[in-house]
Amino acid sequence: MFEVLMYDGGIYRSEELFEFVEDIGGTIIQKTRSSQILTVMMSIPEEDREAMTEFCKELGGEIRAVPLAGTEIAVVGPTLGRHHMPHPICDIAEHLRRQGAITVVMGLARGRGKLTSQINLEEKMIIDEYDAAIFSLGNFKPCVEAKADLFSDVKVPVILVSGPSPDGVEDKCEAIVSGVGRKASRMRTPPEREKLDEIADKVGSVLKDKKRLLDEDPLFVHPAEIKLLLEEYEPVDMCLRPAPVVLHLDGLRVKIGYDEHHADIENMEIYGRRVGDICRLSPSKINDSSIIIKIKTLSEVRQEDLRRAGADDP
Amino acid sequence: MDIEIITGDKYGEDSYRNLFSEIMSDVGKAFQMERALLVLKPEVPLFIFSVRLRSEPASKTVSDVANVREEGDVVHMTITDERYAPDILRELWVRYGKDGVEQQTRFDIVVGNASVKDVNSIVVASEEEHLKEIIGAVWRSMPEGIKNRHTFIDGQVITIVATEERFEPYMLDEGLAHHKRMTEAGKDV
Repeated sequence: MFEVLMYDGGIYRSEELFEFVEDIGGTIIQKTRSSQILTVMMSIPEEDREAMTEFCKELGGEIRAVPLAGTEIAVVGPTLGRHHMPHPICDIAEHLRRQGAITVVMGLARGRGKLTSQINLEEKMIIDEYDAAIFSLGNFKPCVEAKADLFSDVKVPVILVSGPSPDGVEDKCEAIVSGVGRKASRMRTPPEREKLDEIADKVGSVLKDKKRLLDEDPLFVHPAEIKLLLEEYEPVDMCLRPAPVVLHLDGLRVKIGYDEHHADIENMEIYGRRVGDICRLSPSKINDSSIIIKIKTLSEVRQEDLRRAGADDP
Repeated sequence: MDIEIITGDKYGEDSYRNLFSEIMSDVGKAFQMERALLVLKPEVPLFIFSVRLRSEPASKTVSDVANVREEGDVVHMTITDERYAPDILRELWVRYGKDGVEQQTRFDIVVGNASVKDVNSIVVASEEEHLKEIIGAVWRSMPEGIKNRHTFIDGQVITIVATEERFEPYMLDEGLAHHKRMTEAGKDV
């Protein structure tokens, strides 16, 4: 299994670091250079962690695990009203960002209330584009239990964050963190910071399970490899939006228009194959200015190869 | 501010005590409130928030919030309650123009071609506005989806009864009973 690590050090002998990552079969997810300081986000095989730590020590740098790197997580509140924002939703999103995840804050159009709260199909489809979703609900147990229906049909793993500990919702979400209800101020006291750590840990373990499932039938290529390919594509290189390519566990989000660019991306080549043959491209449900790329698994690609070979050779 | 909470929800009770006082402090209304009674019934849902103010909401004129003296046709003013400084300045600008009003320091203002009588009678905060702000602050502390609200106002006591869908008569009766209790509690003090 691959593990995502962050190297924090100088640019001294950094070429050797990149070569080392390549030698052990890892990939560089992101390089950020500021003057003589270098930060590298990398994905390497779990068993080579020790060797990488030793090597980085030799270079005078530090390495630490960013368990949520390479993931995009939606933090969902009943609405974007001042009753739910900015605390605790933004506090949670910011904390997850510090753990390496790309986070998005989302409010439902009609999520408020106990008897009248709703989620529509479009909202569910948008949430399903992410690797996981955190639903942040309020202070009252009956309300939290009633609102569990909001996420019962969401396909991606859901982590419920609420004040009281609700009953009877365990089968509707992957994890529950209680003790964080509606708040009017920033979560900065030690117990509150511990709660944020607990949320990050729960998200980490839920995503780890998802990664394990993916490893049973691995992706044909790692999303970071497609990312490297896309970074050479001019519209992506010229894109001014923050993080134009965002990694998911099973694909990527590319922040360029689907209509104009999907054919070009599908025709790119990686390992002698068309990207369109090993990935599924679709427009994002948020708007048409992003492309969602889902990478097919090894078995899917083999199956398609066999089918094609069978059709060509009757 | 003394906060009394009536609810069967333990977590809601503790968190609403903090939430209510934090929100009232944030919007600058906590010091105006003497006592608050919060009835939380999320299972219905029914929320009754009743607050007793330290003083009855009334219009404020310049004479209430500033010391004013006259020298010839020039009026000198020293603001004593800073909260009303922006309102005083705005009203003076409307009446005497920006050229006629000179703000010498944070609290000292000189107004040309004015009389003490006229300046003192300028209303800087109306009773209605004051009430609106208090009610707005209480609404802010209530759960977002509880949009069907009824307000009782009697002197210093404001009670808001809120539910999610239609009001049942017993809800308003209960709200009125708590409103009366808060009004009568004020008379004992």
